[in-house]
Amino acid sequence: MKDDEYILELRKIRKTFGSLVANDNIDLKIKKGTIHSIVGENGAGKSTLMNIVTCLHKPDSGEIIYKGQKINFKNPMEASKQGIGMVHQEFMLFNDLSVLENIIMGYEGGSNKIFIDKEGCKKNIKEICNQYKFNVPLDVMINNLPVALLQQIEIVKLLYRGADLLILDEPTSVLTPLGIEGLFSALKFLKNIGKTIIFITHKLKEVFAISDYITVLRDGKVSGNILPSEINEAKLASLMVGREVILKAQKLDSVFGEKVLEVKDLSYIDNGSYRLRDINFDLRTGEIVGIAGIAGSGQQKLIETVMGLLKPEKGSRIFLFGENVVEKSIRERRLMGLGYIPQDRMNEGINTLSSIWENAIMGFHIVHGFKSKIFLDRKEVSSFTNQIIDKYSVKVQSIDDKVQSLSGGNIQKLIVGREFLQGYKLLVIEDPTRGLDVGAIEFVWKKIIEIAATGVAILLISHDLNEVMQLSDRIFVMYNGLLKEGGLHGELNENEIGLLMTGGESVYETFLKNKR
Amino acid sequence: MKRSLKINDEIKNSVIKYIAAFLAVIVIGSMLILLQGENPFNAFREIYKGALGTKISFGSSLRYAMPCILVGIAASIAFKAGIFNMGVEGQLYFGALVAAVVGYSYKFPPIIHIFLCLLAAGLAGLMYAFFPAILKLFFNVSELITTLMLNFMAKLLTEYITMWWIGHGVSNLGSNAIATPKIYDSAVLPNLIKGTSASYGIIIAVLIALVVAIFYKYTIKGYELKQVGENLKFAKIGGVNAKSSFVSIFLLSGFIAGISGGVEVLGSYFRFTAQFASNMGWDGIMIAFIANKNPIAIVLVSFLWGALKAGSLNMERLTSLNKLTVNILLMLFVLFVSVDYKVLFKEIQSIFKKGSVGG
Repeated sequence: MKDDEYILELRKIRKTFGSLVANDNIDLKIKKGTIHSIVGENGAGKSTLMNIVTCLHKPDSGEIIYKGQKINFKNPMEASKQGIGMVHQEFMLFNDLSVLENIIMGYEGGSNKIFIDKEGCKKNIKEICNQYKFNVPLDVMINNLPVALLQQIEIVKLLYRGADLLILDEPTSVLTPLGIEGLFSALKFLKNIGKTIIFITHKLKEVFAISDYITVLRDGKVSGNILPSEINEAKLASLMVGREVILKAQKLDSVFGEKVLEVKDLSYIDNGSYRLRDINFDLRTGEIVGIAGIAGSGQQKLIETVMGLLKPEKGSRIFLFGENVVEKSIRERRLMGLGYIPQDRMNEGINTLSSIWENAIMGFHIVHGFKSKIFLDRKEVSSFTNQIIDKYSVKVQSIDDKVQSLSGGNIQKLIVGREFLQGYKLLVIEDPTRGLDVGAIEFVWKKIIEIAATGVAILLISHDLNEVMQLSDRIFVMYNGLLKEGGLHGELNENEIGLLMTGGESVYETFLKNKR
Repeated sequence: MKRSLKINDEIKNSVIKYIAAFLAVIVIGSMLILLQGENPFNAFREIYKGALGTKISFGSSLRYAMPCILVGIAASIAFKAGIFNMGVEGQLYFGALVAAVVGYSYKFPPIIHIFLCLLAAGLAGLMYAFFPAILKLFFNVSELITTLMLNFMAKLLTEYITMWWIGHGVSNLGSNAIATPKIYDSAVLPNLIKGTSASYGIIIAVLIALVVAIFYKYTIKGYELKQVGENLKFAKIGGVNAKSSFVSIFLLSGFIAGISGGVEVLGSYFRFTAQFASNMGWDGIMIAFIANKNPIAIVLVSFLWGALKAGSLNMERLTSLNKLTVNILLMLFVLFVSVDYKVLFKEIQSIFKKGSVGG
């Protein structure tokens, strides 16, 4: 084989953080002009490896060969100048700057060293957009744009910087099925004109849809280099996790009881426009109701009004166990039996500055309380915390450790355990598996189904359509502040619901028509 | 099992931090003193003598530590709850004035009198914290701005009240001090160590610090307030009533700031003198930060602070140096303690590593 066939070659890359071995002698070859998927659970070392390639981290040992030369970049800027670019999971864009300003940031270029040659830059970017068939507005502020477009902007940014090797970290987690298709066709186009793409994901379907090569990482080691034609989803999953994984949620037969939550004529107006408009739905004991939708369609506002974080318009009614709670505080609603797992794990689900036990008893200290009204009962605190740790298999050294020392998956298990073990009758769950690996997703799904079977009502809001479809007994779709019916479990397929999410005409109606 | 309490690296880190800052201050301070033509060794010796050398000097160290503890606690409980109460100074002034007024206008049995004076002082500080709290709550006015501005008002308003309403102006004392009459003996905090300026105020201060420490560590309300301060959204979602927490902690902070003014009057000055507290409130804010808002650490830092203050007065008397030199040293100490040494060491390490590779 010729040397220049490979654009990037990693030889025996090793990186440790303290006692943790994040990358253990990893060998990896990336062929030029291909899409190479790297899959693995959280903590398998994918991000660390990519951070080493883009020079955010320095390896303890090992070599990086890029375009046939051994490289030793001093900082990410140098890597990027050599043509290595990365789209991070959390977009690195400045909200208050325009698209153009974001793209040229750090590469203002031009002969003029003091002033920015905006017109020249604009011309260049437009050329790039034409060449690569992207269509992005340049003069708009970032904060006004939908997520799918932000991703395109990130890619254009890399192309503008002359990237030959594009690394995309979990790029599909923010996209709708339609958006994912768009992204994939863009990536295939880029591949065809000679760019190389490293695609990091833990969604297995996508791996098969797009990759030429697959590398599986597990516990910091390469556990397989495979061609997509040689393997199926289940086998790939077991390579990732190291054991058999059930990718389908196993729904239990449950009986639905009386109404727990009833939302009537719920509206919310922000800046003169309806963010929620005449929402009506109910939820019964033992039932899982799922709400799908593109980010920003109003799900967030819906949850906030149900939880009591936001006051809806006059005339809106929210009945919790038959009582109108619109005027009630979160504390009162919690006391009535309403639990909540927020989407933003690190900012709302936990307090990163506090210890594990302090995070574990939030809510518990109100709803369950302690023997004394004034003092924390250390015994009860540690017994409840340990109960979560044991039942939800959170890997913990000491409950006095900072919660930050836990991995994302363990933090989510802690949050889920905290809310599930307090005996709430209604749980509002938002994106419970965002950013989790297959093993953890399986675990959280199982727990949700189990608790619903005990008669707890669950309102599930997720940006992962598959999750909503797998778990929910009844599905709703939010689009532009409106709530549309999406059928019972299994009634509509992914494409039909996807269409509803993007404001397509109500497929459900036609579906019903055809049924009759 | 695996879940017992363990001593974490934090304590180790903070010890390293204080030692490193202390050494840095000694080095830079020596240079500063040398520049002024004095022998650093002499200067530091005089500081030591003035702080701990004799019983009297130890007493005055305690005397200066006393208000530091209280203002430090007042500032830290607000900061812990995420409230920027920069108005400790103003609340302290009103506390001091009211304590003096109650102290000289009424006569009560000794201990009851002290208690009433301090209670009144606390309430005065509380009232003065009430305005910014309300402004923040209902009009969302940043408490940072309001408390800051109210400091100036407090300083001048107490002076005005003393001069015109209480009527003991310039002529009365024969100096240019604007002050209230002396308080009754029954309101005076007795001496803790005979023949020194250390009063029982230091005991009150330490007790309050202990109560605050216990409050945050062992009570439900303390737990909630800590969560509100560290992550408001998290606490709100968890069902903590953030608004009432906000008001109560703001008022409590003002209450303790008021008491610190009262203790100063009852234990050290025995009357209210206009503009008596030279930036004591600001010392409190700095101490709260150095001690990382930990009540016990505040007590320790305050002792150091008090000792340096007492020592600097002695140094000024016996050398040609100005006590402002010690102020500079104190500020340098604050500066060096704010350094994140963990990061610094890492940086230094990486530089050496690079150097060795290059060589």
